Amino acid sequence: MSNDPWGRPITRRSLIQRGAGLALGASAVGGLAACGVGSQKASTQATEKVVKAQVDGNLVYFNYSEYIDPGVLKAFEKHYNVKVTQAYYDGMAGMMSKLNSGNVYDVIFPSAEYLDRLRKANRLLKIDHSQLRNVNQALEFSPYFANPWYDPGAAHSVPYTMYTTGIGWRSDKIGETLTGSWADLWNEKAKGKIFVLDDYQEALGMGNLRNGFDLNTTDSGQLSKTKQLLIGQKPLLRGYSTDTVTNMTNGSAWIHHIWNGDIVNVRNQVKNPEVFKFETAKEGIPIGSDTFAIPTNAAHPGTALLFIDWMLQPENAAKNIEYIGYPMPNKDGYSAFSGLVKEQPSINVTVEQLQAANKYQFRDLPQADLQLWNDTWTAVKAA
Amino acid sequence: MKEFDRPRFLILVTVLFYVLLFAPILVVALFSFNSTKSLAVFQGFSLRWYREFFNDASLRSSLVASLEISAVTMILATFLGTTLAFGLVRAQVRVSPVANILMLVPLVTPEIVAGVSALLLFTQFNVKLSLLTVMLAQTTFSISYVTVVVRARLAALNREQEDAAMDLGATRLGALRLVTLPALWPAILSSGLLVFALTFDDFVLSFFTSGVSPQPLPVRIYSAIRFGIRPTINAVGTFMLLISLLIIGLAIALPWLLGDRRAGFRLITGDEG
Amino acid sequence: MTASRFWARFLLPGGLWLLLLFAVPLGLTVAVSFGTTNELGLPIYGWHPENYKHVFDPLFVPVLWRSVLYAALTTLFCLLLGYPVAYTIARFGGRWKNVLIVAVVLPFFVNYLVRTYAWVTILSDDGLLNHILGSIGLSSVRFLNTPFAVIGGLTYGYLAFMILPVYAALDRMDPALIEAGKDLYGTPSRTFWHVTWPTTFQGVLGGCVLVFLPAVGDFVSAQLLGGPNTFMVGNLIQQQFYEGQNWPFGSALTIVMMAFLMVWMVFYLRSAARAAREAAA
Repeated sequence: MSNDPWGRPITRRSLIQRGAGLALGASAVGGLAACGVGSQKASTQATEKVVKAQVDGNLVYFNYSEYIDPGVLKAFEKHYNVKVTQAYYDGMAGMMSKLNSGNVYDVIFPSAEYLDRLRKANRLLKIDHSQLRNVNQALEFSPYFANPWYDPGAAHSVPYTMYTTGIGWRSDKIGETLTGSWADLWNEKAKGKIFVLDDYQEALGMGNLRNGFDLNTTDSGQLSKTKQLLIGQKPLLRGYSTDTVTNMTNGSAWIHHIWNGDIVNVRNQVKNPEVFKFETAKEGIPIGSDTFAIPTNAAHPGTALLFIDWMLQPENAAKNIEYIGYPMPNKDGYSAFSGLVKEQPSINVTVEQLQAANKYQFRDLPQADLQLWNDTWTAVKAA
Repeated sequence: MKEFDRPRFLILVTVLFYVLLFAPILVVALFSFNSTKSLAVFQGFSLRWYREFFNDASLRSSLVASLEISAVTMILATFLGTTLAFGLVRAQVRVSPVANILMLVPLVTPEIVAGVSALLLFTQFNVKLSLLTVMLAQTTFSISYVTVVVRARLAALNREQEDAAMDLGATRLGALRLVTLPALWPAILSSGLLVFALTFDDFVLSFFTSGVSPQPLPVRIYSAIRFGIRPTINAVGTFMLLISLLIIGLAIALPWLLGDRRAGFRLITGDEG
Repeated sequence: MTASRFWARFLLPGGLWLLLLFAVPLGLTVAVSFGTTNELGLPIYGWHPENYKHVFDPLFVPVLWRSVLYAALTTLFCLLLGYPVAYTIARFGGRWKNVLIVAVVLPFFVNYLVRTYAWVTILSDDGLLNHILGSIGLSSVRFLNTPFAVIGGLTYGYLAFMILPVYAALDRMDPALIEAGKDLYGTPSRTFWHVTWPTTFQGVLGGCVLVFLPAVGDFVSAQLLGGPNTFMVGNLIQQQFYEGQNWPFGSALTIVMMAFLMVWMVFYLRSAARAAREAAA
């Protein structure tokens, strides 16, 4: 390759010249092309689409893994003779990323603050309550859910679960009790066996709470302190992960930053459930709710409505609660949760707590603050 | 002529190397036949994971999707790469050096750069991610493999036969069809099969450019690894190995069968013979 | 029409395709790298060169440096392990040469993920290796989630790329050269350094390039085998596109990494061109 096809010797200069010319030309084309394209805010028109609850194709389901009873899902498939394609995300940020890539899903499960964001951006279909026979199971569970702060009139969502974030641990590895504080995630005895949730909100929120700051603080000084705190924690960590159930069941985790229901899921799968425990922290814990929602570009919104209705049926809700371990706001199905609470009182979360816990719910942040949070988290991960 | 005494040290290193090289493959294959979920202790022979693999509709559709993508990519890349090779070897025009660079850069572009730029292309022009976008992206980064292989062979070809054909009245295209292409055929075919195998196994590019469903098999595997390790993956991996082996076997065997005995191995060793 | 013009047309299909689907996207990446994000995390175009400054933020420099370091170590290990193996096959393989070389490439065709995942299962705390250690009375060692696991995984993934070019160079070498060298230099090691190594140097260089370049941008090994302290630039880029929701910054990182690698590529091409000229002279 010493001469180019034209017989001239290839020198570094000529290569660079040609390469630069190509790059510049490509950039120019790319830039020009980009000028005509860009992201425009979606109109409200798309959200108003009228949808009837009927089978209009197979369901594309997008959720955390291990966050629904596979039996209930299969029963849905059988009952309506449809197939459910399951896609998973490992956090809200991941979900947004896939949505932004233009992927099309029929039903998604955003947390409250993300629902707020999606709703404001006109990315969610209005849900006609009359289409859901069991909708009152959820909306009449509490006035809170009939008109939640993140979705006035519950126009674009139906509540799925309530949750809290705490610490899960194995009493057979590090003792019967811990200190009941977030500091337990810095437990030296479990060095190398600790996981923190790979979720920028949960991780930074936890740091904020340990530092005594507001959960949702946007003060750059405070976030910087939280960043230092979390970076200091890294030598003790095994990793960041939202795959809590797997990590606890396969022995990699002795202490795990975890959501309350997951510990029930773990206990259902191991041979020695009594050693897996859950605690909340005295500095305060995040408390929130997840929802069902249908994106405006869903290809099969009718089936999605049927699916939501199916999950709201009390018998299905009860079964689901027993599998995933989280309480679903469901008038007749909720009692299944009480049984779980008896075994492990610390996992309890009630709608009264949810209503009262204003400071401890994650909120949708303005773009600039969101960027700050993302940058802080990236810094923690990269350190 | 006395060779070096077979240095025992070198032989030892080489043996160790092969052991290390094949250890994970053997583990994957072995545990794909394990009767229990365990990934550490082999407890008995069973085909249950293969059964789970073939019974899992989404894994099956991923397998089919991967095969489709690889087949289409192979055909497209072979055509585009071969024509490009002809242009680069035989045309002496001003754009040739530019085309040459354009062809070489994808070869050294890290996969993640490829994935990112392809993702941006599709999203910014509002093209929905799907099997089609995967095929487009995979083809783009496969063309260069074909061009490099075919070009080497083409440059080494003796042009006397072609010239003779044209003297006897054939058009340039005719000579191409009757003389050149048959001589090039082993190279074209084997590079095409190489593209097939590489595309079938590719992960990063597919990860960035695939839509919701069906996902190519490697992306599905990644999902399964991230969200709950299942022993079924071992069955999938072993199966993919077998398919790739088949394709590579074909890539080596076909030129040999078609008369060019050493082309297959040369393809692997990268010799430009 | 002249022969050249006839053949020039053949440049069109492939050339146009590459232009539209390779060059333009790269241009788009450059364009996005100067942009910023809207409230949903989608990129909007603009002029924000500070994205590039951000790439060299003291926070991220360790990540960049770490990627280069891991890739360099990977290249070194590939060389240390790969050269002897290639040498053994080329010089002592005999009739089995071709089989041995194909055997080197074979594992490469098991999906990279599956191979890496196999190492996860072998190296994990409850995995095969620790099981063996336990059965002979040793306590379990933490192999996984360490920098060593990542570098090991990278080395394993790219070994074939080193062995093949080195093997090709060794195979092409005239054995008479070594004989002559032995006569001249006496000991095997001096013969190696003065004859074999220089002759195969271009092959070695090619192998290094084929390992180093992709290794810098790798993210799978670090993600599956690494821990919280093994973040590489590939992970950073992937993170910015996946959860970080900052496509412009991710694009800037991508372009910077690409530019860095291009420098090495140009260096390699010049060296190869020079060697070819000298060989022809």
